[in-house]
Amino acid sequence: MTNERKATFILEIIAVLLLVAFFFPFFIVLMNAGKTSQEIINAPMAMPSSISQFYINVRNILTNPSVRYGRSFFNSLFITTFSLIFINISSGMAAWVLVRTKKKYSTLIFMFFLAGMVIPFQVVMLPLVRFLEVLRSWTGIPFKDTFHGVILAYMGFGAPLSVFMFHGFMKSIPIDIEEAATIDGCTKIQMFFRIILPILKPIFVTLLVLNGLWIWNDYLLPVLIIGMNGKVRTLPLAVANLAGSYVRQWDLILTSVVLAALPVIVLFLFAQKHIIKGMTSGAIK
Amino acid sequence: MKKILLSLLALLTVFTLAACGGDGSKLVIFQNKVEIGTALTTYANAWAAKNDVNVEVVTCGGDSCAYGTQILAEFQKAEQPDIFVIEGMGGYNDYKDYILSLDGEAWLTDTDLEFKVNGVAYGFPVAVEGWGMGYNKAILTAAGVDPDTLTSLAAYTTAFAAIQAYYTANNMTDYVVVSMAAGSGMEWVTGLHNFNGYLSSGLTPGDSSVIDNLNDGVVNTARLQAYADWVELLFQYSPNSILIDGTYDIQVQAFDSGKAAFIHQGNWIDPNLDEATFEIGYAPHAAAAGTNDAIFISAPSYYVINKNSDNIEEAKKFLQDLASTPEGHDYMVTKAGMVAAFKSVTLLPDGKLSRAMVEWMNEGKIYSWWQNDMPSGFGMQTLGPIYTLYARKTITKTEFIARVTTEIQDLG
Amino acid sequence: MKNLKSKILNGLFKIWVFLLSIPLVLIYVPIRGIVRQFRKIVLKKHDVKHHYQGHNRTLLALEKGALGSNETAQTNRNFIYFILAAITPYLLFVIVPFLMGIYFSFTNWTGLNTGNEIFIGFANYKNIFSSFAFAYSFYRTAIYSVLNIIFINLVAFLLALLVTQKLKLTNVYRAGFFMPNLIGGLVLGYIWQFIYRNALPSIGGILTNSLISNPDTAMGALIVVITWQYAGYIMMIYIAALQNVPTDLIEASKIDGANAWQRLRTITMPLVAQAFTIAMFLTLVTSFKQYDTVMALTQGGPATTLPQFLQNIFAAPNRTVESLNLMAINIYDSAFVRYEMGVGQAKAIIFFIILLIISLTQVYYNKKKEVEL
Repeated sequence: MTNERKATFILEIIAVLLLVAFFFPFFIVLMNAGKTSQEIINAPMAMPSSISQFYINVRNILTNPSVRYGRSFFNSLFITTFSLIFINISSGMAAWVLVRTKKKYSTLIFMFFLAGMVIPFQVVMLPLVRFLEVLRSWTGIPFKDTFHGVILAYMGFGAPLSVFMFHGFMKSIPIDIEEAATIDGCTKIQMFFRIILPILKPIFVTLLVLNGLWIWNDYLLPVLIIGMNGKVRTLPLAVANLAGSYVRQWDLILTSVVLAALPVIVLFLFAQKHIIKGMTSGAIK
Repeated sequence: MKKILLSLLALLTVFTLAACGGDGSKLVIFQNKVEIGTALTTYANAWAAKNDVNVEVVTCGGDSCAYGTQILAEFQKAEQPDIFVIEGMGGYNDYKDYILSLDGEAWLTDTDLEFKVNGVAYGFPVAVEGWGMGYNKAILTAAGVDPDTLTSLAAYTTAFAAIQAYYTANNMTDYVVVSMAAGSGMEWVTGLHNFNGYLSSGLTPGDSSVIDNLNDGVVNTARLQAYADWVELLFQYSPNSILIDGTYDIQVQAFDSGKAAFIHQGNWIDPNLDEATFEIGYAPHAAAAGTNDAIFISAPSYYVINKNSDNIEEAKKFLQDLASTPEGHDYMVTKAGMVAAFKSVTLLPDGKLSRAMVEWMNEGKIYSWWQNDMPSGFGMQTLGPIYTLYARKTITKTEFIARVTTEIQDLG
Repeated sequence: MKNLKSKILNGLFKIWVFLLSIPLVLIYVPIRGIVRQFRKIVLKKHDVKHHYQGHNRTLLALEKGALGSNETAQTNRNFIYFILAAITPYLLFVIVPFLMGIYFSFTNWTGLNTGNEIFIGFANYKNIFSSFAFAYSFYRTAIYSVLNIIFINLVAFLLALLVTQKLKLTNVYRAGFFMPNLIGGLVLGYIWQFIYRNALPSIGGILTNSLISNPDTAMGALIVVITWQYAGYIMMIYIAALQNVPTDLIEASKIDGANAWQRLRTITMPLVAQAFTIAMFLTLVTSFKQYDTVMALTQGGPATTLPQFLQNIFAAPNRTVESLNLMAINIYDSAFVRYEMGVGQAKAIIFFIILLIISLTQVYYNKKKEVEL
């Protein structure tokens, strides 16, 4: 073995060990999701005695009336999907004209968007709820406890980071293509969807992942806008509802944690190649 | 691509409309006991069907769903909850602009536990709860301790020592004398429940002198001294694995498995005592000097009706039916496992601690609950951390007293 | 004279109505476009002229009046239309509530006296600046953020270096290290609470005492959690930057006999300086805003004694505070636990200003470094 190959081999071992360390918490959760509440408290580090307990726990979660897994799952999926589409397209469009318009005001507007990144959610949450009520009384359209309310809120809160990232990426796209397209008689909107968006693919994917994870896992915003109760409830709210009582039913909590994280993990594993390629192809600058 | 986008858009519109199909005349009950959530929803739905009223029960409680956050958000809306929960004077002071007087309701004659301010009734007692030193009769008997004698600090000192000696003699290394938790997340046990000993032990029920002093920033030094001795004793006999590192589950588990002689919890742990086959009773907290011959019993929270509600009549009827119909009784006691606050209720829950508590209640040996009359956040956020430090032995008893004193004086 | 006054008022009113109509038109026109497309493509109906047309023409005329109709106007129109979808929700859901929040910080709003709050000037701010608890909270947040930034970036950069080597399973490693980021703060908090409270103590040894119940180790325990969660994400940023380092440069330096450390210092580091700026900015902001993980993990605890220097500054001897009462939690507590919404808002505004200053400084300095290198 040459020196270099030796070094690579050692690095490979280190990487595998680190990977194991990174998976350790997942492993603990998965292991305990297959036990009864008693077993968890008494021997949290032991392997589950039988696999069937895992099925029992899963069934308990799926049939639990305060979780309503299917319903919550659907709500989460719905809210996440539409928020993502709208955030990405609206921010992409905004970032594009902000980059291409070389005016003072476009820099100002960009800065204005950036300011949103440092606004802590705690500052706006209660005034937000109050303002939604004002909006409702002005327009007659309810925003609380509705899908569009949550989705619009995510568009608002997601805009700063998304505009920021699109903006950074777009600066590196040469303008020649657009000029050529203009000569070909493309309108602005056609140009955006047919030419710009395909170029934006890596950053688009990156933002899908980042915003998707944030929205899928978010807790405080859905609590405020759609509340813990009601017909619209997302998965994190359902898990929190379960973990809410002072008694920690760890068997149920850990199983629901597994079930809440599972869809994301499965999706990630399937799209892993694209996601990593997107995220590492110089998208974030 | 365009087609897909457009059909998605259409789908969105459909669901948006579906989601906001709410109607105005709905009785919304906003409550904070997670453990009774399902039972209450079932009962409310049955009641709704019978009375042809729309009812929705919103449950938000425990430590992950901050009741405060949610209810504040609810009160920013035009449609607010019709029935919600307060826990005592602290909550009353925060919400008084919204609370309807319930004077003249029929159920008032059937209970002594309604929430009153200046003689006006405002709150419907959700249940009766109580705590003392829950004990495992088997261990006490084996160690030669008679629970009836446990009324003073001296008696407890002797008893704890005797139990410890019994453990040592029989090589019971994983047994504990007191199962009590004072770490982070358990401030409700120390800063509220335990501290109530200072506020009410040894006083006649309804005597608010100590809590009034506290709210004025005045400390009853002698009482605080005696109380600190009691805390010291409890902490001394509670193992660090529970006292400092323990969570609620670990604390209850120790008692449930029969390996703890005493537990510092109320009758609400009954549903979690599924292994316990031994006999269980309550003994008083020896928090005041001299003899302590009662345990802390009260209504833990009250349903109040929102003054601005459009459904006041329905709300009143809901509460009345809860107190006076067999279905209401059945829900409170059998389904939700609570001890009802109404004299006409003859049912009793199965829980061993609940039954032990009822014995004390029937004898009239009651100390009041004053912990909910402290300002919001004072017990858990301000006092709780001091207990944690004392449990960790970072501070001495003298410092413990000094710090509690400073915080109380700050309220003045 | 009276005539003139009413004329002016009348004119002002017209301008006001006109100004109000602009956003309406701006929103209406694209919606009309979408509806038309929808009818055409999905419903397969072609637009027929109907009586709304007149209405539309008025609106279009209004829009033209607002924006003009020459080429510049066309550019402006595009600019506005393209930016509208992003800026409207941002204004409505972030900026307006934020401005409302600034106003509320000067009132005695409790959250329950909504509509009846009284303007009380700087009383809330005075209250905060004399509070040792808030000062302590800021102090802890600062320490936490610095440590967090160092740890996350260090781990992330090392991971990035590792997985950009010629290893067999690079993609598996990348996916694996990114994985913790898939789980949200609250759920993550529960998982780690279980690990710290139940799983690790059962191993025994030095782990017998839970790390999160000791004020000296709790912050370290939290940093482990956040690094575990966040390092994989930041790693991706570094990978992107490292891949842009030209290989021929590295090869050339190898031939020149530079060792690995020299190569890293003189070639790689300067070229990824830009990535450091963004990664540090992101970690800074997340550290400062940390809320739900801490809340689910320890609820702000465990307790500790106020440090000596703060005791001296605030003349507050022997006070008790909570060691992980970070600023986000402190704000939340005043607002929702103590029902002091005005104070909570004021704290939040201070928090915002601090965060703004720190992040601007950080970006400014990092940018300066980028140029120097």
